[in-house]
Amino acid sequence: MHYPAWYVPFLTSPMLIAIIAILHVLVSHYAVGGGLFLAVETRYAYRTNNKEYLAYLKDHAWFFILITVVYGAITGVGIWWTIGLASPLATETLIHTFVFGWAMEYVFFVLEIISAFIFFYYWGRLEPKVHQAMAWIYAFSAWMSLVLITGITAFMLNSGGWVENKNFWVGFFNPQFVPQVIARTGGALLLSSLYVYLHAAFRVKDTALRDLIASRSTLPALVGAACVTLGGIGWYIFLPESAKAALAAASSLNIFMVLIFVLTIAVFAMLYLGPLRHPNWVSPGFALLLFGMGLAVFSAGEFVREAVRKPYIIYNVVLSNQILPEEVATLREKGYLEGGTWTSAWVRARYPNVVRSQQIDEKALLALPEPDQRELGKVLFQYHCSSCHATTEGYSAVAQLLRGWTPEMIKNLVQNPEKFHFFMPPWAGTPEEAELLTKYLVSITPPRPGGMR
Amino acid sequence: MTPTELIGPPSPLGYPAPYWFLVTFKVLGFTLHMVPMHLWFVGILLAMIFAQRGDVHAQRWSARLMRQMPVIIALGINFGIVPLLFTQVAYYRVFYPATILMAWPWFLIIMFLTFAYYGVYIYVTGLKDGAKLTTLKRAAGWVSAILFVAISFLFSNGFSLMTHLSAWPELWQETSVAGAPLGTGLNTSDPTLWPRWLMMFGLALTTVAAYTVFDAGVFARRESPEYRRWAANFALKFYTVGLIWFAVMGSWYLSTWPADARDQMLSSPLIILTALAALGPGLPWLLIFFQRRQITQALAILTGLAQFGVLALNAISRQIVQNIELGKFLDVTAEPVNLQLSPLIVFLVLFVAGLGVVVWMVGKVWQAERQPA
Ligand code: HEC
Ligand code: HEM
Repeated sequence: MHYPAWYVPFLTSPMLIAIIAILHVLVSHYAVGGGLFLAVETRYAYRTNNKEYLAYLKDHAWFFILITVVYGAITGVGIWWTIGLASPLATETLIHTFVFGWAMEYVFFVLEIISAFIFFYYWGRLEPKVHQAMAWIYAFSAWMSLVLITGITAFMLNSGGWVENKNFWVGFFNPQFVPQVIARTGGALLLSSLYVYLHAAFRVKDTALRDLIASRSTLPALVGAACVTLGGIGWYIFLPESAKAALAAASSLNIFMVLIFVLTIAVFAMLYLGPLRHPNWVSPGFALLLFGMGLAVFSAGEFVREAVRKPYIIYNVVLSNQILPEEVATLREKGYLEGGTWTSAWVRARYPNVVRSQQIDEKALLALPEPDQRELGKVLFQYHCSSCHATTEGYSAVAQLLRGWTPEMIKNLVQNPEKFHFFMPPWAGTPEEAELLTKYLVSITPPRPGGMR
Repeated sequence: MTPTELIGPPSPLGYPAPYWFLVTFKVLGFTLHMVPMHLWFVGILLAMIFAQRGDVHAQRWSARLMRQMPVIIALGINFGIVPLLFTQVAYYRVFYPATILMAWPWFLIIMFLTFAYYGVYIYVTGLKDGAKLTTLKRAAGWVSAILFVAISFLFSNGFSLMTHLSAWPELWQETSVAGAPLGTGLNTSDPTLWPRWLMMFGLALTTVAAYTVFDAGVFARRESPEYRRWAANFALKFYTVGLIWFAVMGSWYLSTWPADARDQMLSSPLIILTALAALGPGLPWLLIFFQRRQITQALAILTGLAQFGVLALNAISRQIVQNIELGKFLDVTAEPVNLQLSPLIVFLVLFVAGLGVVVWMVGKVWQAERQPA
């Protein structure tokens, strides 16, 4: 490993990314779809000269700015903050590959915030045409930022032919790109309608206006839901084989997929029965329920998207434990401790007597006192396994998974994690190091639960 | 353990553009970041004090600044993205380890910023026509002011730890479990940290003063002549205080530099840059001094530009110092370049087109402002 492994007890550091990412997508999609909503509806309100609707749209624009410009922007930066801390090698790789993709996205961010503020703060002070133009500039920029970031996130799931030629455009237009752009655009339309229902249900007292809002937002919601479904199918088709297998194998992912499926149908049904057929149903309670279901679908979807990449963080490019696939062979030969920048410095500082002619002597490791061997096993765990497993308690805690295992079984797993489960990265150390890790794992493995016949 | 042992291998991908290109955008981006950042770093604090204990004009000043603050913050965060992006391209081998060693404080920035930003919005609702600044709203403003100061301290920690590699081995060994950092460190053992942070505070004071003149001359045309006179007076006073503060902390900062950094920055040819960065604030000060009786639009714009120049000089010299400090451990200019020409060109084209759209939008706002309300 090139970088230090940030130890987050209980949760594991990549889980922090998942949490922030979920918190972010719930708003970032609204930032795109809501922009389109404001552009289309402002145009409609001007054209029909509907003063009440315009007043509502201004109120909505304020809510929109409060949510997207503050929370959306900060959580977006927050994802970037956490990936650098939890997955530095992947971040390094993405940034060296796509820095100009981000730079392009940045240009659109600038346009977004400036147009959004002008749209809101100069409401009524610009000619209607110019005012609408601001909304369209916003909507277009926001959608472009979605397209640009999707090229990069989709790359992580299926890097396609990039591995061969390392070409920016090959990476950007990867097999997942089109399906995910469709799905995310749909998600933006759907989610923003749910935000609109929620906001209108609480803020609009006039029932005629509320019905108008509800019915006008239904078409985008339904189109959005259809795009999500269509994009989702494409997403599945263009998944790498390993991700499809992971989806089928992991029980938690199965549950999430069923949840997504059921909730999507429920959202469809509620949209049809509610806003489309009975706009007057859109009460605060109804809107909250619909909104909550939408958020649940999105969160589950985002979690699945993050989870199916295992054992990679960037498919075929960077492994979850922050090493490159091409490094595995050398590490097996030289040793994981020796090959890692920080692990090797650690061993040299703590156990200078295992270093012979500038190299860590693998045999000498096993001559250390038992507590030291276990400690080094723990170092190996931190740097080889802790990106997916907590230690004794917490997220996928290894001690709980190993409960009741014999030392031979544990050693077998340590030497062949990728054969036990294809979604674990291959063992990238020497046999001696496998022994150290085994000793550590044996020391924390609880016995088989008592009381069973 | 020597610090160089802790620097990982270079990325096999190489730099996507030559180093000079990356560093130009980094420095330009940071200069842009500094303008709004200074306004919230010191400006909110002053605005809170003045809202409570100022005369009418001071309160007016406070309200003006705070009303603009949501937009200022949005722009400032946005401008911060540019240097952060290019820092991660060119300084990744030291940036990631340093921030991982202080992962939790670094992560806290995001939490603090969320609260600080919403705090400002809550405060501003109290400034609307007919609204009242309730105790709760005032408290929200104070919390924001303090959080922003705290964030600035965390930033100074992060960016100084990035070059203070000699502190890494000990910090790491003290705050880790089996070699994995807990991420609870800070760079407080670095003698450059405090003066660096305090110097930034002084510089921020000068930016607030310069901005006051700019605002009074360009945006505040509907304010009373008394307010504008007050603003001129305030700006001169606070620029002077900021200048002295900057000079004192700057000298302290300089005295804490490693010997080679001092030697290089104080001998030819870099001495010219050091001198310019040190004396630069004299120009806006003079411009403000000339306007002490009357702020004019042309001079106000000039003051803003001059202050921007001061910040740019500062950004350039701190970049050079950063490279000298790092030079002992890592030569960031030495990495192979794997030029990504077509994405770079697409970016530059979009950049220029985007600027065009921004100019168009601002032009429309300008027109709207000229019309009577
Ligand atoms: C890419 C993430 C990842 C990494 C890295 C990883 N694992 Fe796993 N591991 C998993 C997943 C996912 C499971 C399935 C967990 C479950 O069923 O709850 C798993 C399961 C296990 C199990 C239970 C196996 C079984 O058959 O029930 C053990 C033991 C285990 N891992 C140990 C390790 C060890 C030791 C390492 C380091 C050498 C490691 N893992 C590295 C993802 C990973
Ligand atoms: C999330 C939004 C922000 C981003 C992306 C950001 C980014 C950056 C970057 C990249 C630098 C270093 C520039 C360089 O060395 O080239 C920097 C410096 C700095 N930032 Fe920000 N910033 C943000 C918000 C803030 C906030 C809210 C504050 C609070 C006052 C702040 C205060 C500072 C300070 C004081 C420095 C100088 C640190 C030093 O080197 O001593 N920033 N910022």
